[in-house]
Amino acid sequence: MNAKERIMRVLRHQKPDRMPCFGANSTVTYDQMEKVQAFWPEAHENGEAMARQALAAYSVLGFDAVRIPFSQTFEAEALGCKIKPGGSEGIPGIDSPPPYSIDDTPVFPYDFLSRGRIPELLRAVRILKNETDDAVPIVGGIIGPFTIAGALLETVPLLKASFKTPEKIRPFLEVGEKAGTALGRALIDEGADIIACEDMTASPALIAPDTYRDFELAYQKRQFDAISVPKILHICGNVDQIVEWMGKTGADIVSIEPKANCKLAREKCGPDIILMGGVDTVTTLLLKDTDTVKQECQKTIADGIQILAPGCAIAPGTPTENLLAMIEVAKAH
Amino acid sequence: MEKTKWLEKAAQAILDADEAAAQDIAEKSLAAGMDPLEMINEGFAAGIRKMGDLFDRGEVFLPGLVVASDAMMAAVKILEQALPKDKQDQKMGVIVIGTVEGDIHDIGKGIIVTMLSVHGYEVHDLGRDVPIENFVTKAKEVNADVVGSSAMMTTTQLGQKKLEEALKAAGLRNKVITMVGGAVATDHWAKRIGADFYGESPQDTLEKLKERLN
Repeated sequence: MNAKERIMRVLRHQKPDRMPCFGANSTVTYDQMEKVQAFWPEAHENGEAMARQALAAYSVLGFDAVRIPFSQTFEAEALGCKIKPGGSEGIPGIDSPPPYSIDDTPVFPYDFLSRGRIPELLRAVRILKNETDDAVPIVGGIIGPFTIAGALLETVPLLKASFKTPEKIRPFLEVGEKAGTALGRALIDEGADIIACEDMTASPALIAPDTYRDFELAYQKRQFDAISVPKILHICGNVDQIVEWMGKTGADIVSIEPKANCKLAREKCGPDIILMGGVDTVTTLLLKDTDTVKQECQKTIADGIQILAPGCAIAPGTPTENLLAMIEVAKAH
Repeated sequence: MEKTKWLEKAAQAILDADEAAAQDIAEKSLAAGMDPLEMINEGFAAGIRKMGDLFDRGEVFLPGLVVASDAMMAAVKILEQALPKDKQDQKMGVIVIGTVEGDIHDIGKGIIVTMLSVHGYEVHDLGRDVPIENFVTKAKEVNADVVGSSAMMTTTQLGQKKLEEALKAAGLRNKVITMVGGAVATDHWAKRIGADFYGESPQDTLEKLKERLN
């Protein structure tokens, strides 16, 4: 059974030959960069380097999917945010000042898909499609509406507005939703098999759960309705207070960190949602040994995880053997 | 209006996260002859402590706490100007704080800065995305008692470890207390990198700091 069949079986609620293991978020490390000779910053900017680096998840780690991109800046850049380069060791971020303030009306540009580095991202998917021969699923990453709104306004003003004048955040969520959806559909057109939506700013660590329910949920639903392939929704931190609604977005897979309660997620989301997650990226994957990684994997599997994954984007200094330990556990299940 | 009413009103303005009301109460209480230090410590600060408790218990969320701490800062600014000069200079300790390089998250740190300031610490906020050497330079310059760093992302967290090393290399590590915070920090992480403590919440940070400075 190849990686794609394995994951598709899980998505159809059929028993795979073994548990799949791949990242909903970036799994790039310095080690893999050396092995496939594709480095930062090129792999954030150039489709070919990006594809080569993404492929390392499969060729070096043996993970069951390849995932692009490796930063959260593509939509934001195309919407007018300034990008702060990450150099050879870090990922690009969003620089201040933000393009908008809360009383502005944000614009979704008609040429969104040809802006910034999006054409290179789409080229990377085309290259991956050729290279993987349809045996390995390609996971295309998009950013959730609330997180894009946070880039357009900066996070602090967005949070304050969500408390003081929440109606004013809607136009920003609207543009954020359009951007992620447009990118997601373009990724699918080029060959992406799964769309993973990262929505860091929608975490209860940042916004009130009621804000998620009353504002973000509708935009996430609209986005997922417009995306034809299986969808992963990833929100960082402890999502216990919103996990029930995460399960109502239309996502096929809900990806959570070990900080969140996996059993509660199952109870709140019901049997139809596939749960993905597993190992804490810093305290375990980056800093501990393979035995601890395996133990943590076993625990999350016992708690009901169906796709083993790092809990979030991994730190680029993560040792390869710890990632190989994850796949070893997956192979035994 | 009697004293306890002023203090209650001050606390309530913070619980309501109402900046205009907080400023109004600060001004009117001064005009009515209230002691500005009492208004800060037993009025407004009582309000923000309560907010901090509610936040710790998951009844108030970050946006509410950020707006309440803005209201607090606005009221304190008015009241501080009315303090006698010697009271203005009395500080609990000198703190240098910032979010480590590569990390642009500022929110949690912003709240801690407010809380520390209103509790009488002299706080030098380096902002966000701060190169490690800037923490060291500033700590030397202001003769800091405490160096605090925040990291919100798994990809930038190692900056907190580098900061420990840089303080050691500069011969400052024995002279300062180091505290770490941020979404990805934990007690375990603080121990692992040799930081003095992890501040989980504003309340937790204030308590641990008080313990260690006394």
